[in-house]
This record gives sequence, structure tokens and C-alpha cells, in this order.
Amino acid sequence: MFRVTLSGLRAHAARLVASTVAIVIAVGFVVATLTLSETTRDTMLEAVGARYVSAEVVVTSTTGEPVDGVAREIAGVPGVQAVDLATSTSVQALVPGRSGAQYLLVDSVAEDPALRWQQLADGALPDRPGEAAVSERVGADVGDVITVTTYAEDGVEESSQVTVVGVVDLGGDPGAGLNGRAFVSGDQVQAWGALGPSEVRVAGTGGTDADALAATVRDALAGQDVDVRTGEEQAVREAEGLTGDAEVLTLMLLVFGTVALLVAGLVIANTFAVLLAQRTRELALLRCVGATARQIRRSVLAEAALTGVAASALGVGVGIGLAALVSALVGTDSPIPLAGVSVPLSAVLGGLAVGTLTTLVAALAPARAATRVAPLAALRPLDPAPLRSRGGLLRLVAGLLLVVPGAAAMALGTAESEVLLSVGGGALSFLGVVLLAQRAIPPVVAATGRLVRSGGVTARLAGGNATRNPRRTAATATALLIGVTLTTAMVVGAASTRATAQAGLAAQYPTDVVVTGNTDDGIPAALPGRLATIDGVRAAAGLSAGGVTGPDGYEGWTLGVDPAQAAPVLRSTDDLPLPSEGTAVLPWWTVEGWGVEDGGEVVLTGDDGAARTFTVALGDTDHPLLTTADLESLDPDAVADTVWLRLDDGADQADVVDEITDVAGSLVPTASVSGLASERAALDEVVDVLLLIVTGLLGVAVLIALIGVGNTLALSVVERRQENGLLRALGLTRGQVRGLLAWEATLVAGVAAVLGVLLGAGYGLIGVASVLGGQGEVVLSFPWLQVAAIVVVATVAGLVASVLPARRAARIPPVAALAG
Amino acid sequence: MSAPVPVMTVPGEPPPTTDAVRATGLTRTYGRGATAVHALAGVDVAFARGAFTAIMGPSGSGKSTLMHCLAGLDAPTGGQVFLGDTELTRLRDDQLTKLRRERIGFVFQSFNLLPVLDARENIVLPMQLAGRRPDPAWFDAVVARLGLRDRLRHRPAELSGGQQQRVAVARALLSRPDVVFADEPTGNLDSRSGAEVLDLLRSSVRETGQTVVMVTHDPSAAAYADRVVLLADGRLAGEIDSPTADTVLSALRGLGA
Repeated sequence: MFRVTLSGLRAHAARLVASTVAIVIAVGFVVATLTLSETTRDTMLEAVGARYVSAEVVVTSTTGEPVDGVAREIAGVPGVQAVDLATSTSVQALVPGRSGAQYLLVDSVAEDPALRWQQLADGALPDRPGEAAVSERVGADVGDVITVTTYAEDGVEESSQVTVVGVVDLGGDPGAGLNGRAFVSGDQVQAWGALGPSEVRVAGTGGTDADALAATVRDALAGQDVDVRTGEEQAVREAEGLTGDAEVLTLMLLVFGTVALLVAGLVIANTFAVLLAQRTRELALLRCVGATARQIRRSVLAEAALTGVAASALGVGVGIGLAALVSALVGTDSPIPLAGVSVPLSAVLGGLAVGTLTTLVAALAPARAATRVAPLAALRPLDPAPLRSRGGLLRLVAGLLLVVPGAAAMALGTAESEVLLSVGGGALSFLGVVLLAQRAIPPVVAATGRLVRSGGVTARLAGGNATRNPRRTAATATALLIGVTLTTAMVVGAASTRATAQAGLAAQYPTDVVVTGNTDDGIPAALPGRLATIDGVRAAAGLSAGGVTGPDGYEGWTLGVDPAQAAPVLRSTDDLPLPSEGTAVLPWWTVEGWGVEDGGEVVLTGDDGAARTFTVALGDTDHPLLTTADLESLDPDAVADTVWLRLDDGADQADVVDEITDVAGSLVPTASVSGLASERAALDEVVDVLLLIVTGLLGVAVLIALIGVGNTLALSVVERRQENGLLRALGLTRGQVRGLLAWEATLVAGVAAVLGVLLGAGYGLIGVASVLGGQGEVVLSFPWLQVAAIVVVATVAGLVASVLPARRAARIPPVAALAG
Repeated sequence: MSAPVPVMTVPGEPPPTTDAVRATGLTRTYGRGATAVHALAGVDVAFARGAFTAIMGPSGSGKSTLMHCLAGLDAPTGGQVFLGDTELTRLRDDQLTKLRRERIGFVFQSFNLLPVLDARENIVLPMQLAGRRPDPAWFDAVVARLGLRDRLRHRPAELSGGQQQRVAVARALLSRPDVVFADEPTGNLDSRSGAEVLDLLRSSVRETGQTVVMVTHDPSAAAYADRVVLLADGRLAGEIDSPTADTVLSALRGLGA
């Protein structure tokens, strides 16, 4: 029997291509995800571990207290060669040739060379205060003098200078790209306000075993609030803290991998069902000559297992290759650094198991159907009429049992802002939808087919053909439906999330950029106008500032604004209302400090002692806000001080902010520029990147589904060889035959795409409402263009999937109709 | 009504205008070298306009291949085929396709109808493919003659074998083609349904002057024809005018069938 299976596989190899490709893609995806995750971990471990390479033992405090007290004791432990008290702090630094101060993380350099781990790209490590080695990110060269600003405990600003003596190569350290790093002597770190050593690194004498040394040190320090670990243990511990995010990402990727596998399973089940349907006669003949039903089933399952193993093995290879490619492209210069490829055994075995199991499970139902083939079927002409199955009713009931409570849970979860309930309900109802889709799709395709009947005789034939085998059409369309639904849900969800986040950001930070003069003389009156002319700046409003005395008797910094000028600058006045004549917008602290309330009255006193009563409006502002005219009436000496700016939405925020800084700095040297423009851009970028990744991943599912469309069509072409021959004999040109298949593919793919988009939009909006609903007002945004693009892409891709089968169909000679 | 006189043609003579289809020096070879099979080994034959001709011969005699070549379904290896004044052997695939749907009607042994279309749609399919509108009066006449008026909305699966074949005949007749080719049209039918279909083909010849060429291996089916052309081993092996089942049977015996 096994011999029959093998020769069957050889004979049908071409038709198993689609199943194989589906499994290869799905398994490859899963393996690539696991491999990349492992690679990230290894890369981080190596980068983080760099600083522990030379340390056999690391001692850290369990309480957060400085650990310098134990250093002397450790130094006395036998086998300890050197001890380093690692201290760190942070400073603001001005580097020659770079505008603006940058934030530097400062670490001490070990005095003993045995514990110095830094890799030098240039120069040397510092030996004394006044010297520093910096990371490449800082942008300084050996010989440069860096001006460092620190704050003493009483808040007084202090300035000091250090000379760069070396440049350190941090390799794949995930922190290397974010902030500049400086390495200075322990004394210098102390001088810059370090809080005492956070850990003690210990080097053993030559040939010491790290574990043994750690045990000795642990014994010596028994009873103290410290943890003693080997350098390796400490590195793993810190890397885990850093890869937390990467693991969330891995989890997300695996969810999509599961989706890809599910879709692949549908495609495979379909392929096997059709392959076996075509082999009914062959199977019946086997029964006639004495094969038992059991043997037939085993043969079918063996075929599936062999296909599954072969395809999974291929998939594992593809996955590792893909991971290597991604690793090479991403490199170490990214927030998630990658160096080389680390293939975990679990990925290889897991990929093989998952792929083979999926194929086997998918083949179970067709295998059971195959055993029902009666021996007599070999002697009867094939009956092309589709069979009504009992499974249909079962599916309907199961589907409804999943959809109804699932939808209820989703509704309840959304109303109560219980995210977990919504997610559970969503998953449950989607499973139900997938089951119901099997029943719902054929009638929808048929109805759509009737709609396009006006498209001519080929369209009419295609409409009929598409629903001839309802179960197959349903399975094909469902695979595509899943991919399209999830993609749409993600796109719609992301759009609303972004809109909600942006609205929140706009309310909280209504100004994009704020330029402050920081001088008592005020800024030139021309500055707002000059800034407004910068390309990328949409609007500017100048504010004046002066001193006004509040009800508590203290004079405070007060801003004056022209509401008409400021209105177009603010993105939102939800949290920061603009004052009108006679109104004072006051900070929230005045409720307690001045005893005012929103809508009440407040008395403000001017320089000349004249008091005026204002209506109170509370808002998110640091200082009281009046109209310019009101402020001048209280303080005639008020000067222009601040400029509010709004940027164009499409502008390159960083470039515009740079130019604003230049212009402001050239007119007012003390000017400082702040604002949330960059945060807004960063948020957009994060959402965009996430969306891109997710869409790409779901694209894999859609791709597999489209292979299914092509596969189904190819099998139809084989089945309808005689029929297509008849059509050719009756006068259908080759082009019309290709059109027939194209219509059929478009119909099935189009219906799946439209249904998927409708479902996905629903899930996306509900998902956003339930996830964000608990955190305030939700802004729903529907990305029409992207959703339309999904429909078009899925439909056109279906059309493309018909090209190869259509070519084969067009080559069928008309005589084929007569050879029956 | 008298039957049109069958016309004999002599190879090499210029084509008489009364011929609907004519072939000269027709050869069709499958495979090559030692394994080559000569399905047609040089056939000269003509079929008169308005006549019902049957092509007969033992299995493997090349009768189906001859019909495929005459109908533009298969390309001959050598020789020429004329439909009226059109030389089929010079046409490209698309031109042949158009010629088939406009000037030729087909009735096949099995799988004659498209399962997704109802009877009416099947009947008008070739004309629709050609972008032509069927003449309503003629459509009614054909449908009435074939007794299909009550069956037009039925799909093939809802029709008996005989009814399906009558739909196929209606489809072949609707466009008033130059020739109707029938390939074993009664092969899958019981004898009563078979007789009905043959009667319909003969009456279309008698009453409307339709040209019909039929391939069959059944002597009693051939007896409905005006003339029988006999084929053996890819060559013409004789012919019988005004055949009866007996004369055909004895002629076939003479061929060793």
C-alpha cells in the first residue's frame, strides 16, 4: 500500500505544489520569527555582556543602597585580583561642532586594566579627572573639549570641561544609538554628582573558576544586603530586562504565524479534498482489488505526512534564510540590534512539527471522505454533482454557537471597557464567522454572479462555474476572507488609535513649538513674523509677558495673548482655553493657591496698584494667561517674550524645528525652543512602522490564500477539460476562455475581499472602542483609501492567480470535448 | 418531398459549387518515426449541400479524425479542407474558432451541454459567442420541432439523455450553419430516443435543406442518411447511396469489421 502512496505522490506532485508552498511560507514565517527572536537575545546578551566580560563576579545591592561599603571586604577575599566600583550619572554636554546640549550617560572606567571592558575605536581610556572617552554617538573626536553642565544638590548650575582622549566602540549595545555615552575616571563621575557605586565588579586571579569565586565572595558577604552573581549571570539578567519589548514583538509575530498556519491549513484541506475527489475512481479501483477502507485512509494520511514533512523541512530552511536576510539588512544599528543568526533547536523542531501536524489535521477530513468511496464507484461514470453534507448543518450550529455569545461578550466588553472580555469575544466570534462563512459565501457569490450577468456570456458562465462546487468555493474564499478581515481590522484599528492618540496629544499639548526668549529685554517684535515665514510653519503667535499680582499678594509671571492671532496656532482649546477681554485663564494650582473656581471671579492687581476683576477660566497653562490688552493695562512694561508656532502636518518636523532654532538663535541668542512637534511625528512614525509590519505579516496570510485561489482554479481546469473543449468547439476563442477563468477568480476573490473588509472594519472599530474606550474619548477614523486599496489588491491578486490556470485552460484543444 | 440527389465527386476535378464541405489529399499522422500512426492516409471526399451523409467504418478506421479535420477541430498533417469556398487549412486558431461558431453546428456523443446554463442558454450559446441575435421566429420553429418548449428553463441535469441530445440538435440548427457535424449522436441513447434524434436530423435536411454529416458505427443509424461513406485504415473504402441497415451491414462485413 505504501508503494501505491509513493507512486501516487510522484504522479500528483504538481498538484501538491500549492499545499507545499502554503506550508513552506507558513512554517518559514514561524521559524524566521523564532530565529530572529533568539538572534536578538544573543545580540543583546553579547552587547550587554561586554561590560561583564572581564568581571568574574558582580556584586549588586538588593536595597538600592550604594555598595561601596563591601568593596574592602571583597578585595580581601582570596582569589580576587581587582575590584571596580562602577558608578554612573548623567550630564548635559556641549560638543564643539554640534548645536545644542546633548544628554550624556556617564560611567566610571575601572582603575585596574583587568576590569576595563571598553573597546576603543580611537585614542585611550581616561586616567584622571578632566579626561573622557565618549561613544561614537556623541560625535566628538580625540582632542575636542566638551563643556559639561551639571546641577549641584542645591540646584545651582555648574559648568566644567573635559578633554576627549578616546572614542569607544559600543558594538551592538541597544543603548548605543539612543544616547551618547561618556566614560571618565571614578573621581570625575563623583564630581559630576554620582550617587555612589551601584555595583562592584570583581576580577579573579588567573585561572579562577567564576562560580567558585562567586561562592567564596557570597560566603564572605553573608548577611549583607547584596546579590552576588557571576558576570555571565548578571549579563543574562540585564539582557532579559532589555529584551522584554522584543519578546512582546515575538509573541505578536507568532500570533500572525498562527494565522498564516490556519490559512495554510484551509488551503491544504481544500487541495486534498479536490485531489481525492479526482481520484475517486482510482481509490474505488483499489477497493475493488481488495484494499480496505483503513488502508485507503492510511494511504491518504501517509501522503499528507510525507508532503507535510518535506514542505516543513523546506520551510525551516526558508525561515532561517529569511532571518539571516533580515539580520543582514537590520544590522546592529537599530533599536533591536541583530548580529548574525542564532538558530534555536526549538525553532527547527517546532517548525517541523507544526507544519507536519497542520498538514495532517487538514488532510483528516478528506481522508475520512476517501474511505467512504464505494468499490462500485470505479465502474460508474463520475458524478460531477456536488454532495450535500451533514457537516453543513453541524457547521451552522457550531458557527452560531460561537458567534452569538462571542458577539455578546464583545458588546459587553466594549460597554464596560473590559478589554480581555472583548478580545475573548472577538476571537470566539471570528471562529464562528469562519465556520458560517463556509455556508454564507456560496449564495453571496451566486448573487454577485447574477449581478454581473450583464457582463456577457463569459461572465454568465463564470458566475455559474464559481458556485458549482459550493464547498470548494467557500473554502477558497474563506482562506482569503481571514487574511483580508485581519488586515482590515488592523488598518482600521491603527487609524482610529492614531486619531485618538493625536487628539489626546493635541488637547494636552496644543502648541507644536514654543520659542521663549529667556531675557528681560524681550524678543524683537519681528520674531513671530520672521518665524512664520519659515517653510513648514503654518502659523505663529507672539505672546507678551509681565508681572501681575494675584489675590495672595505675590507678583507672578503672567502671559498676554492675542486670541485672534493664537486661535489658528493651537491644535485644540479643549484643555487650554484662550482668554477673551476680561477673562483670565488660570493654572489649576490657583484653585487652591488663590481660592478661585472655574467661572468665578478673581482680582488681579497691576504695577500701579490698580485692581481689576476677571472672570476665571481654568486651563493647562504654567502661568496666568490674559489678553495682550488686559496684560498691558495691568503691566505697561510687559515685553514680547514667547512665540507659539504651529507646523504644517506634512512638514519634516525635525528640519523645521532645526531652522526655527537657527532663526531664533540668531536674533535672540538666549532663546530656547521646545515643543511636541517631534513627539507627534514620533507617534506617527511608530504607528506607521507597526502598521507596516503587521500589514506585511498579514500579507503572508493573504498570499497563501491567493495560492489557494490559483490552486482551486487549476483543479477546476483539470476537471472541466471536456467542458472547456466543448466551449472551444462551439466557438469560444482562447481569449474568451482566459476571460472565463479571470471572471471566476475575480468573483470569488472580490466577494471574499468585500466581505472581509466589512467584517474587518467592524472588528477594527469594536477593537479600538474596547481598548481605548476605558482611557477617555475615542476618535473613530476610517481609512477609506487604504480599505479600498485592500479590496482592489485582493481582487486583482485573485485575477493574477488565475493567469496560469487560464493559460492551461486556453491550451485545451477543442477535440478534448469529443474524447469522452 | 423528394430527397436531393447525392453527388459523387471525382478526385482532382474542380470543386462543384454544390459541395458544402470538401477535402483533398487529407492526411493526419500521430507521432513520428517507427511509432507513427496514420489516422488518415490520403482522403479525397466531398459532401453535397442539403444532403445527410454518414461516415462509417470499423474502430480505428479514422472516421472521427476525418470529421475533426473537416470541422476545423483538428489540424490535418497534409491536404486541404474547404468549407464552401473557405480553405480551413489556411486559417489561424482565432479565425477557425469564429468560423466554427458562425458556420458549423455540432452534436456530440456525450457531454454536449454546459451544466451551468439552462436549455435556452445552451441553445443560443454559439450565437451569443458570435455576438449575434437569434431570429425569434426561427428559434420558436426549431424549439417547437424539437419539442423543447416546456424544457427551456431546465438545466441539463434535469433533462433526460434524449432531451439533452435534442437541446444539442437545436443548438446546432439555430444558427443555420453551412454544415452540422454529428459525432455518434445516438451513442449514449436508448433506441427510442436515438431514433427520435435521427428523425430530427433527417427532417431538418428534408424540410430546410440543412447539410448534415454524421459519424456513426451503428448501421441502423446510418440507414437514416442519404449516403454512406465507408472508411478503413485511413482511406476511403467505398460508399452506398440510399443505404439500408442491411446494405450497410454487409458492406461493413466486406471491410472485415
